[in-house]
Amino acid sequence: MPGRLSEPESALIPLSTEVDVPLYHIRLGVKPPIFRVFISWSRGNVLQVACIRPLEDHLARGEGNETSDDAGLGGKVVEVKLGASNPNISEAQRRRIIYDSVPPFVLLQSRRKAFLTMSRMSSSSSHPSTDWWKQVLEYSRSISELLGSSKLSSKSVIEDPMIVLEPVEKPSSLKAAWQLMEIFYVDKHYFSWLPERLVDWLADYDAILSETQMTVHSKLVKLQEKLVNLQVIENEPEYWEGLSSVLTVGWLDVAVKLLRLHGSYQLNQLDSRETENGLVETVAVLVSTMPRLRHDLPVRKLGQCLKTKPDFIKAWEKWRGQITKLDCSAFWVQCSHRPTREGLRNLLQIMLGNFNSISTACFHWMELFISHVLYIRPLTVGFEEMHGLALKFMRLKSSSISNGLMRLLIGILGENTEVVMAECSKSFGPWMVAHSAELLTADNNQNEILLHEERYNLGGISIVELHRLVYCQVLTSHPLTWQVAPTYLVSCPKQGLGLLEILLSKQPVQNYPMILKNLEICQLNELYGISSFVKKIAGMHQWKHGRKGSGVYWLQEARDEARLNRIAQQLFECIGRSISDETFKQWEGLIELLGSDVGTAGGVGFLHRYRDFKRSLRQVKNGRPTRAARQTVESLIQLMKSPYTPQRFWLPLLHDVVELLNWKDQPLLNVSETNFLLKKLQELSMAQLCREFSETYLPPEALTEIRLALATNLSRAFLEE
Amino acid sequence: MAGSGDLQLYRYPQSKSVDAVRWLYPLSTFDRFIATALYDTEDASSSVEIHSLNLNSDPENPNRSKPLLRPRSNWPSPSRISSLRTSEIPHKHVVAALSTFAGYVHFLFMDPIDVSVELELSTDEDQPLHNASVSVVDLQDGGHECLSVGEDGRVNLVSVGEGRLDTQLVHDNRGLVSYTAVKWGSQAEFATGGFGFGLQWWDQRKPGGLVSQLKGNWAQGNVTGIVHSIDIHPSRKHISVVGGSSGTVFAWDLRWQEQPILLSGVGVAGQSTFESEIWEIQYDIHAQSSSISSTSSTKILPVMFCSEDGILGVIEQGKAPIELLTEACAINSLDIDPQNPSDIICGLDWESIGILMRPKEAAFVYY
Repeated sequence: MPGRLSEPESALIPLSTEVDVPLYHIRLGVKPPIFRVFISWSRGNVLQVACIRPLEDHLARGEGNETSDDAGLGGKVVEVKLGASNPNISEAQRRRIIYDSVPPFVLLQSRRKAFLTMSRMSSSSSHPSTDWWKQVLEYSRSISELLGSSKLSSKSVIEDPMIVLEPVEKPSSLKAAWQLMEIFYVDKHYFSWLPERLVDWLADYDAILSETQMTVHSKLVKLQEKLVNLQVIENEPEYWEGLSSVLTVGWLDVAVKLLRLHGSYQLNQLDSRETENGLVETVAVLVSTMPRLRHDLPVRKLGQCLKTKPDFIKAWEKWRGQITKLDCSAFWVQCSHRPTREGLRNLLQIMLGNFNSISTACFHWMELFISHVLYIRPLTVGFEEMHGLALKFMRLKSSSISNGLMRLLIGILGENTEVVMAECSKSFGPWMVAHSAELLTADNNQNEILLHEERYNLGGISIVELHRLVYCQVLTSHPLTWQVAPTYLVSCPKQGLGLLEILLSKQPVQNYPMILKNLEICQLNELYGISSFVKKIAGMHQWKHGRKGSGVYWLQEARDEARLNRIAQQLFECIGRSISDETFKQWEGLIELLGSDVGTAGGVGFLHRYRDFKRSLRQVKNGRPTRAARQTVESLIQLMKSPYTPQRFWLPLLHDVVELLNWKDQPLLNVSETNFLLKKLQELSMAQLCREFSETYLPPEALTEIRLALATNLSRAFLEE
Repeated sequence: MAGSGDLQLYRYPQSKSVDAVRWLYPLSTFDRFIATALYDTEDASSSVEIHSLNLNSDPENPNRSKPLLRPRSNWPSPSRISSLRTSEIPHKHVVAALSTFAGYVHFLFMDPIDVSVELELSTDEDQPLHNASVSVVDLQDGGHECLSVGEDGRVNLVSVGEGRLDTQLVHDNRGLVSYTAVKWGSQAEFATGGFGFGLQWWDQRKPGGLVSQLKGNWAQGNVTGIVHSIDIHPSRKHISVVGGSSGTVFAWDLRWQEQPILLSGVGVAGQSTFESEIWEIQYDIHAQSSSISSTSSTKILPVMFCSEDGILGVIEQGKAPIELLTEACAINSLDIDPQNPSDIICGLDWESIGILMRPKEAAFVYY
């Protein structure tokens, strides 16, 4: 966690207190003096810091004198996680969003590709963006869904009349921001109903408008707490205040519910307060019949839904007329209960669009803004007008915008795409920018050009690509999400593939399932070079850790002949200079893996042929016929001819076949073959290797024996020919 | 919820990597239990978590409601878990055997009614059973013996002794051959698999143990890869079905050892089926097949598989494979409920447990 050092004098590096940089306090538990500090990057934003004490100092103290284990440490490595994680959203939640947003993103990208090809083919017939926003809307809805549902946490079957504010989980500000962008940038279909959409938005997210300031929501929460204990509800000013607040922001259902809690509804009071009750009920009916210019009304929401402007204006004037009529009615005089009379008339004023009544009833500037479009200017749609209003109300409520959500809204209303993107990035992180860029360009050619234009100052990439690359870096820094990154990298035309190559070649190779997952991504993206590179690394890793079989397997897969040859040399040393039948049984599995294909096995392929040779030799010794003997000799010649057969195996090989050279029925080698073997023997003697071999592994007379056998064979072969 | 036809898939996010999933065999008739091996990246901790699965959580609408998956008990593991297998000691314990990346094997003994962990046994703490990671374990029916194999080339037999685990090194080739899969065939026989699609058949009663082997790279370079999973049907011990790299599923019949039967993969003629890693396979004991009753012993029974490209499907010899699920992420493990073979649990790459339910009417269990 960043913070000031508590004891500046004990810091390793003195830092002036005026420097404004994030400081991380590391608890080392290592006593000074510290001799050296090593710092290196671990995965993601984790730093590994190693602190070492001088060696002499450690020794001088001696082991026995230490009181605690920690004090005696010669050094310590600690991990420091840089940057604070978002407090509003847990890491696990963040990863869930990352995972779940992949399918919608992929779907939209493939649709975009298809759309672009289609519009290119029929460029004359229709404008490309006519239908595109519908696809983006679908995408936006699926993303919105995965950001969390604002549904009730628990739903009881029986409705409690005392519960006006249903308990819901705290809405996510990420979702609030997403929906805000959807309303303004994507949903063109609903654009004429924009004010009502904002009313709905506020109903969902009023609770998170401000962390410190009072809102209608927080007012209502307080009222709800008191509601159960209040005896005569209509005598409480808070009841009327809450009532006017919920009405101003258009929560008609809550307002009506509150009105019906009025004491005059109680059966025992109905007779004495008839007029009062009539007034309350009339206001409740007026509230619930408020005309609303919107597409549809969800269940349990009140008002009359009107889809077109002329219809709305007609209904609006009629409704206003009814209110005015009630306001001037003589019944008010007969209403003896003062708070009710005043409270109800205040409600009427709000509905009539009295700015003062409205302004006192709401707290946050956004609430004032919403009530303004609800009751004063219900036909407001222009961005410029809305932006002006927003700024005006902010001044009026003398609030500064401290909240990321509000800054985003101002950016949107100000029609400033750069501000919107910057705000998305600052307040909601790389995920938001990478995914919301699609919303910005849904139906806005200017934004399309702005975001997709290649920029010299960004190294030739577009803003969209830049943000995707940033997001990918976040993905790759986590061991579980790195596999999601390739999906996004392939949608980055300029630098995506290059980064993907780096990502894949840097993955750990400790366990084979991870390697295989990695290779599958290589395969999908046709990165054969990287794939073979990964296999080579895997092969060397396995080999070095003593898993010879899998090491050879990976190197074979990578067709890395040079390394296989080098490995072969080490393998032969492991085997020893001559292979007994017993050892061969152990090597069987590895040899089988190598196969007989020299091309892939390289030098290691020798083992395979040597094993075949030994096997047929055994058959001869078990009394098999001449054919087996002939086969043995043939594989001997092949072995001796092969450049991969190590020289030190030559003599033992020849010694193994002495018996065959003196084969009774016929000479098994012809003249040229015998000459070839003699030549090899000569080569050996020249290299001065014979002595050493015969001394250690073969009887001293071996060399002579072989020479004699070869000579005999040669003479017999001559005669035969 | 995704799914086609009457299939229902329910996803349960875990916020931890799901490394292995298995059904447990409890006596309880109300709840079903599953064991999952989880890995938390935040603090690098591993655990086996036992969940209960309650199917009829909503009495009003039992068909459409999502079954309730509730954590019941938790056993912290000292290292990340590489494999998990379950069995039972009848009327006494539910047993889980697991292996770790650190090279150890652990046994958990759970109460058969409430499935709480009553006893845990581990192999010698000072001496890892395997050098580095254990690839996989397989638990013998009856829960007393377990085989473990590793890339280090060791084959170990772990058996439950008096208050401890006894281990016996069956074979050690010092890393010359790596093993990546193991499966019991009978009380004394088992199959192992490894790199290059090599397979070995072992019989503990024979000296040395190794009876026969399917040589690695048998397809001459056309098909090669790593064996990930082996299954052997109790009624057909001579046939091992194998799932591995490049979408390969093949059967190895001990009576015709030289020629494995390729069921899926690059070499199968006429169908370019799957090319992805097949992480786990199991005989689909639920699959309906017209030919089951008349099936000769050479016919390969239907096999269920899950793959890296997110497919969970069933392969039957001579038929086009059926895809039951196509997920956006890899399906790393699967287990068919032995008591209700229409239900499958799978481990999804994106930190989720998936439960797939097939219509029960089609049930046709053959033994």
